[in-house]
Amino acid sequence: MNPLAISDLTKEFGDVRALRGVSFAVAPGEIFGYLGPNGAGKTTTLRIILGLVRATSGSVLLFGQAPAESASRFDIGFIPGDLRLYGDMPALATLDFFARFRRKAPVLRQRLLDAFALDQATLKRRVKFLSHGTRQKVGLIAAMQHDPALLLLDEPSNGLDPLVQQAFRETLRDFAARGRSVVLSSHILSEAESVCERVAIIRQGEIVALESIEHLRANVVRKLTARFRGAVPDLTSVPGVSRSEIHGDEAVLWLRGNPAPILKAVAAADVRDIVFPEPELEDIFLGYYQSGSQQSPRPASDA
Amino acid sequence: MRNILRRLAARHRTFLIVTAIVLAGFQLLISAIVAGVDVESAFAQIRAFAPPALLPFIEQSMIGSPQGMLAFGWNHPITHALLTAVAITLAARAIAGEVENGAIELILAQPISRAHYFTAHTTFGISAITFIILSGVAGSVLGRQLFGLPPIGIADASRLTVNLLLLQGSIYAMTLLLSAFGRENGQVAIGGVLLAVVSYLIEVISSMWSKAAFLHPYALHSYFNPRRILTEGQIPTASVPVLTAFIVLMGTAAFVRFRNRDLP
Repeated sequence: MNPLAISDLTKEFGDVRALRGVSFAVAPGEIFGYLGPNGAGKTTTLRIILGLVRATSGSVLLFGQAPAESASRFDIGFIPGDLRLYGDMPALATLDFFARFRRKAPVLRQRLLDAFALDQATLKRRVKFLSHGTRQKVGLIAAMQHDPALLLLDEPSNGLDPLVQQAFRETLRDFAARGRSVVLSSHILSEAESVCERVAIIRQGEIVALESIEHLRANVVRKLTARFRGAVPDLTSVPGVSRSEIHGDEAVLWLRGNPAPILKAVAAADVRDIVFPEPELEDIFLGYYQSGSQQSPRPASDA
Repeated sequence: MRNILRRLAARHRTFLIVTAIVLAGFQLLISAIVAGVDVESAFAQIRAFAPPALLPFIEQSMIGSPQGMLAFGWNHPITHALLTAVAITLAARAIAGEVENGAIELILAQPISRAHYFTAHTTFGISAITFIILSGVAGSVLGRQLFGLPPIGIADASRLTVNLLLLQGSIYAMTLLLSAFGRENGQVAIGGVLLAVVSYLIEVISSMWSKAAFLHPYALHSYFNPRRILTEGQIPTASVPVLTAFIVLMGTAAFVRFRNRDLP
């Protein structure tokens, strides 16, 4: 049985349709990315899964039960996007407080404390005196300490430094390796790319893609900007280039798939500078829209 | 549920203990004052010089006997203010306060139902109000003993506790309903204070002014009568059913709203 199955989920807040026909399922041992820009409906989906918000229509099954059943949340861990803990509670008391809601012992606590480098002195301090990043670590440990079968993480890397992010990703891989499932909601593509096997991309309340991460990578349209010392070479015929613009000595290229051919072609010319940023979610949307299934949007770079 | 109760006790411990001490001290002070003055002559003087419009109110509240004066201590604005502050603070924080500080999202994501959460908060609220009332009763008992006043019987103390608990429970339930609709602790608390003050003022005005007497049944405070309890040994007939019905109605409405609302 899938720990989470969502079918044709719709949510309306008055005249605003926050979700439209959202459907996906998460398998045991899967790290599932739920990607979308801010305001796309990711948090609303998670809140419906947790029974905090009621769906207008559609169904959610958590371990085969409706979210309104408190027992459905027995074996899950959750961290909200806007984490608020009780400021007057020491960090250790906070972990104990959340552990007591379950009959399961916090078996992973010590391992997580070590992985996130939280020492005993920090645990004794009240949450309101902790930095944002440390609070986030406490929230993550509270969510994961009982080794839940399903983790729901809303923008979990908020405020974490790169080293802790790395440890966090390792922890997620370890969870999945032990058959635990994870839903990772984020607006940062690279965060999901590094750990997820499959992703759903939501935009304006609708899922526009439900793909393996490899397929997503193959479809993504990335922007490359190259500046040359001399004349700009003709790069439009290089495999993978879907569009180009020339501005003086600068070429702006939109690429799909393997970047190796264009990098070789650019390197062969007299290149002065090259900018090849991480793809943004908007670039992915562009890739899907250019595949022809949707109406054509403006590219992010033009916005 | 025990987990939430423990958390609430830790969070409100100082506030509740300080309030309990202040109320106990105030009731003890009332005993000291009553023991130190000739109540009957003082009352006769007040009656002689008071405006006629105030006489009914004075006669109802400040009966010219030590028991009547001690009863007035339980209807004094300070007593009401202390107890109402506890009732309103706890009810406003129970839902709107937790929505405002963002903690409710994480709490209700745990394997507890909204019914459990609601029950934990109401259990704590009613227990806390009872604790404060009993502290006041203890202050009064101690004061009477220290200053040689007639002791308060267990039956009268129980009646007083029940009647005052029902009154403050009504204010708690009314504020809880506002809290179930609200998102901001402060706004809900202000709403609760306004309603409590209006109820108190209606009771005072309808007691003093015959033309406003028709308003008397519509004030919650009209159903709390410490004078009658402490001098006649009776709770007013309508008090228990009216206040109980009000608590059940408001509490049920608050729960239904809380159960059905989207959070946070």
